[in-house]
Amino acid sequence: MTTLREINERCSALYEDLNFGYAREWKAAKPGRKVVGHMPFYVPREIIHAGGGLPLGIFGGGDQLEVIHGDAYYQSYICRIPRSTIELAVTKRLDFVDGMLFPSICDVVRNLSGMWKVMFPNVYAKYFDVPQNYRDDIGGTFYINELNELREGLGKLAGRRISDDEIRASIVLFNENRRLVREVYAFRAAQPWKAPAADVYLLMRAGMTLAVEEHNRMLREYLDAADKADARKRDNCRIVVTGAFCEQPPLNLVKSIELSGCYIVDDDFLLVNRWEQSDVAVEGDPLANLAHAYLHNSAHTAAKYEDTEKEKGMWLVDSVRKNRAEGVIFACPSFCDPALLERPMLQRVLAEHKIPFVAFKYAENSGQMQPIREQAGTFADSIKLWSVQ
Amino acid sequence: MVFTAGIDVGTGAVKTVLYAVDGPSTRLISKRCDRVRQRDPLKLAAEAYDQSLEAAGLKRDDIAYCATTGEGESLGFQTGHFYSMTTHARGAIELDPASRAVLDVGALHGRAIRIDERGKVVGYKMTSQCASGSGQFLENIARYLGIAQDEIGVLSQQGASPEKVSGICAVLAETDVINMVSRGISAANILKGIHISMADRLAKLLKSAGTKDGVVMMTGGLALDGGLVAAMRETCVKEKITVEIKSSPDSIYAGAIGAALWGAFRHEKLSMLERKAA
Repeated sequence: MTTLREINERCSALYEDLNFGYAREWKAAKPGRKVVGHMPFYVPREIIHAGGGLPLGIFGGGDQLEVIHGDAYYQSYICRIPRSTIELAVTKRLDFVDGMLFPSICDVVRNLSGMWKVMFPNVYAKYFDVPQNYRDDIGGTFYINELNELREGLGKLAGRRISDDEIRASIVLFNENRRLVREVYAFRAAQPWKAPAADVYLLMRAGMTLAVEEHNRMLREYLDAADKADARKRDNCRIVVTGAFCEQPPLNLVKSIELSGCYIVDDDFLLVNRWEQSDVAVEGDPLANLAHAYLHNSAHTAAKYEDTEKEKGMWLVDSVRKNRAEGVIFACPSFCDPALLERPMLQRVLAEHKIPFVAFKYAENSGQMQPIREQAGTFADSIKLWSVQ
Repeated sequence: MVFTAGIDVGTGAVKTVLYAVDGPSTRLISKRCDRVRQRDPLKLAAEAYDQSLEAAGLKRDDIAYCATTGEGESLGFQTGHFYSMTTHARGAIELDPASRAVLDVGALHGRAIRIDERGKVVGYKMTSQCASGSGQFLENIARYLGIAQDEIGVLSQQGASPEKVSGICAVLAETDVINMVSRGISAANILKGIHISMADRLAKLLKSAGTKDGVVMMTGGLALDGGLVAAMRETCVKEKITVEIKSSPDSIYAGAIGAALWGAFRHEKLSMLERKAA
């Protein structure tokens, strides 16, 4: 049986490897295999998989990459992830990647997709436009066309047409992945002392690199091992962390929050594998099923339009209630317009529901954790000592 | 009655206290302070805790809540961790219930914390990055002057013509001290000058934290430095800050005391919630 330590070590190694050794080996193992990168946001990974490709999450350079060339491409008031992504590319760390998808999350990522096309004309690069209208006859029709275009593009890359049956088979595998991811999150919410936030984070990050079949095995092994873990329960408060969804917090930030006396019982660090909130239907037209799941059963984020003010932020209130959280920490990337413009609206909703919150910003390479520890620590103390329960 | 423990892992020393708590009645059973002196502070804390328990005839399982504070969150065996500002606030109330502000001056920084009668933090200000307002700086200077730490306060209070040092930068302050030594300024006047400089900075913190009157309890390692306490009192008079500066022989334990007492509070609260749920 695989131990928790072995799983954690494997996940850490994948997380730290900015040369993407696993993906390189996967590609080299069989002629014709293609690796398709995507920015840290939802893309229909099923279609990449159905075309025989490996979806590879490109999550920037984290705190281990020194950005030298990347800074020349962006102004100082732009977030860090596009710079470090460029740095990864121009230093040839992504030279094995056959295609790149840029989901329509913000202007910066849109511009990055254009730059990619200019800088790497031989790499398949697509700005993947998702709908902001949630009517089946408008947004749905648009999105099915977009998915068809993606299928054709990836088919050209694979050298063959990607069939409906192949997409259905991939949906089954990714449904399983999403179910297991939900199980891990539910397990952590129930017994957070057995599933430290940093371990869960690394486990989820591994799923952005590994083949889905391998990640599914790893998730099952983790659930088995974590359940048997002999971990001591601490008097920590239970909190939901929100605001990341694209540029990732440094791992030390996740650890610092927990060390400060908070159990993270829900988060939106990686929305890719928690985008569809239940299974995507398998029977029928697979692209229509993916579109339906996107429109009617997907996660809420700052980059997604909310058409009724009444519903604004209610997903966060629901998460607090469902996970028995006592407060919310907004941890948003510096210079991230979507996250930082969304934050005050969500804070207003939390205030209306008398849910305590605190907010701070980070960059993926933030190194100084003392201010974070101070804020998270005093927040935890205020909940533990002064909240009315 | 329950037993609780408070462990304050500081930069310079680890402070460990054990308390017996019965409702509002609190009794300090034991206290100990171990200087870190280049040892692993977490290992030292675990040893100090076990030795405290042994001396009190208790076992780890007898402790209803073991609370850490300071840098003790990585210890591993604690029930919970509290941030040091929270614990110093509660510790100050235990040392003197009239306390309405805390001046916590430790090895690496100083801070002014405004509190209410329950020990709740209502405002705070900290020294900025520079070490010239800290115990580590004072310790270094004493070493350069060849003075033992427990002599600092006594000597400082003998200084009749203090020479002021830079209050902004530890490097400049050390240069000032070297110049003073070469000019033949006495150690007493040098130390008094350093204390006045530190007191100036701390008084500014008190003011900007919104403290206007009432008892200010000094905590942390430097609360036991009579020279600094005297300089604080003089500076507050000079700056027309109408507070009463106090220090207690147990001031160095304020963080550990606060942790142990907040631990007792949490233990009671969690037990109540469990009873309610049942």
